[in-house]
Amino acid sequence: MNMRRVVAIWFRILAQFRRDRRTLALLFVIPLVILSLLYFLLRGTGGKPNVDVVNEDQGPVGSVIAQALQRGDKLNLHTTSVSSAEDDVNRGRVDAYVHFPTDFSTRALSGHVIQPEVRLEGSQPGASSTVLGALAQAMQSALSAAPQGSAVSVNVKVSYLHGGPSFDTLDYFGAAFIGLVVFFLVFVVTSVSFLRERSQGTLERLMASPLRRGEIVVGYMLGFATVAFLQSVEVILFGLYVLKIHNSGSVALIFLIALLMAMSAVNLGIFLSMFARTEFQAVQFIPLVIVPQVLLSGIVFPIETEPRWLQVISNVLPLTYAVSGLRDVMIKGADLAWASVQLDLGVVLGFTVLLVAAAGATLRRRVA
Amino acid sequence: MAVEYAVEVEGVVKSFGRLRALDGVSLRIRTGEVYGLLGPNGSGKTTLIRALVGLVKPESGTVTVLGRRMPDVGILSRIGYMTQAAALYPDLSVEQNVRFFAAISGTEDNVGEALDFVELGSRRRSVVSELSGGMRTRASLACALVNRPRLLLLDEPTVGVDPQLRRQLWDRFRAMADQGTTILVSSHVMDEAERCERLGLILFGRLLAEGSAQELIQRAGVQRLEDAFLKLSEVRS
Repeated sequence: MNMRRVVAIWFRILAQFRRDRRTLALLFVIPLVILSLLYFLLRGTGGKPNVDVVNEDQGPVGSVIAQALQRGDKLNLHTTSVSSAEDDVNRGRVDAYVHFPTDFSTRALSGHVIQPEVRLEGSQPGASSTVLGALAQAMQSALSAAPQGSAVSVNVKVSYLHGGPSFDTLDYFGAAFIGLVVFFLVFVVTSVSFLRERSQGTLERLMASPLRRGEIVVGYMLGFATVAFLQSVEVILFGLYVLKIHNSGSVALIFLIALLMAMSAVNLGIFLSMFARTEFQAVQFIPLVIVPQVLLSGIVFPIETEPRWLQVISNVLPLTYAVSGLRDVMIKGADLAWASVQLDLGVVLGFTVLLVAAAGATLRRRVA
Repeated sequence: MAVEYAVEVEGVVKSFGRLRALDGVSLRIRTGEVYGLLGPNGSGKTTLIRALVGLVKPESGTVTVLGRRMPDVGILSRIGYMTQAAALYPDLSVEQNVRFFAAISGTEDNVGEALDFVELGSRRRSVVSELSGGMRTRASLACALVNRPRLLLLDEPTVGVDPQLRRQLWDRFRAMADQGTTILVSSHVMDEAERCERLGLILFGRLLAEGSAQELIQRAGVQRLEDAFLKLSEVRS
């Protein structure tokens, strides 16, 4: 091995890096951004589930367990009435409520059974299991304080607003990942193929033809939307019927959201490919565009648990709305009548229109 | 109705940053003429051609093509533009490429004729990425003339093309000109410049001299066009 030749290659690579400032920036800036995001997401205000406590118990046991829950410090507790607790769960303001009925102490002391009622919102399996775990722990510590010899059995009555006991993490993530997979792949394929249109010179030819910019953008959108549609069909059918991801809503509505996502991904691809000179640089948009969206759109970390300033960023990302829409439909069985679904669809549609305009505008600017 | 001049360029200026790519170029090309734009690399030939199709917006001056002030998207359907590198979709067949550009200008009926014209009729199903360089150039030409253009802009069409094919291509250009198509060819190959009816010498974004090959040789007082080109370039720079 000739060292001088090896060194020649070594130094040539470094010289190329010095020329390509963008790649350098990517290598040294993006990791810090991503790690910082993770820091804020994981060390954020902490993801304690919100739980309402309804204590109608006429005896002492209910409040003993409620105090034990408080000491356990795993939940954000809030004491309220049955009707408002039910309302909170239905509106998704709390993850669950714990109910101690009027005869709670009587039944416990007469040696029957401790039977608190838990109503779970159920759309986040993580929160549900935290709530049930904290309650079990609280009852354990309450029981250890009880007089010896009292044979008490525990039987938590759990009911779910959404999903059910078999509802698992895949059901929770599945909905979001359907949107993400379609968005991500369509974005990558469009930006690279539009860039190729430029590098192989055919864009120049298109620009010198009677084609209008709008026709190019819409034509591209239709072409990729067709492929994206087929891809969505495949992904959704596989998810729902092979992996049996939970779905309580309309399959057509899932398609609609996935398709809108795909369209905005096409136009984001066209738009951003105008800022790249090579396919290599287009690929660099993946960590720049996709990774923050994956972290911040509520796919993995619920947006409510983010620090407030990060929530602001989350709320302007299109993927946030697609994910929330898909979850509402698939987990909560939402339909078009739901205000939240209308908002999600509206925002995703708005982003699509905005990106169509942006893609058209960048095409024009390239030529001027 | 045919206009007298297919191309009229008046005092066109275009800069890219500090570089003056076009520095007050004026020229006229008569309808049916074969006009050669001569100049070294980086002299402004491509920028001028791009201005003719409206891809470059001049800072001052006017460009009129086929009687229309550019930029004018409508008239582009009557212009054929062959870019420097063979701009084709490598994954598609020759015929699919030509058909695509035909569809844009609504001349799908001309696909077969365009393929025959560049003698690629038998290779119509070949995928472009598997073609030789010369065949790609011919396929690219087919895409440029499938819309039956009245003005054909050829940006260094014979770069990397062997002498045999170059002669074939020029026979094609000649045939088109005889049928009334105006042709503008940019080049720095002298033997093809001699095939043009009129030549324009462009350097540093300025048109230095214009005339037939014979006229330019006489004006420079030399024997060959290449010498005329070099001498006329020296005088002004």
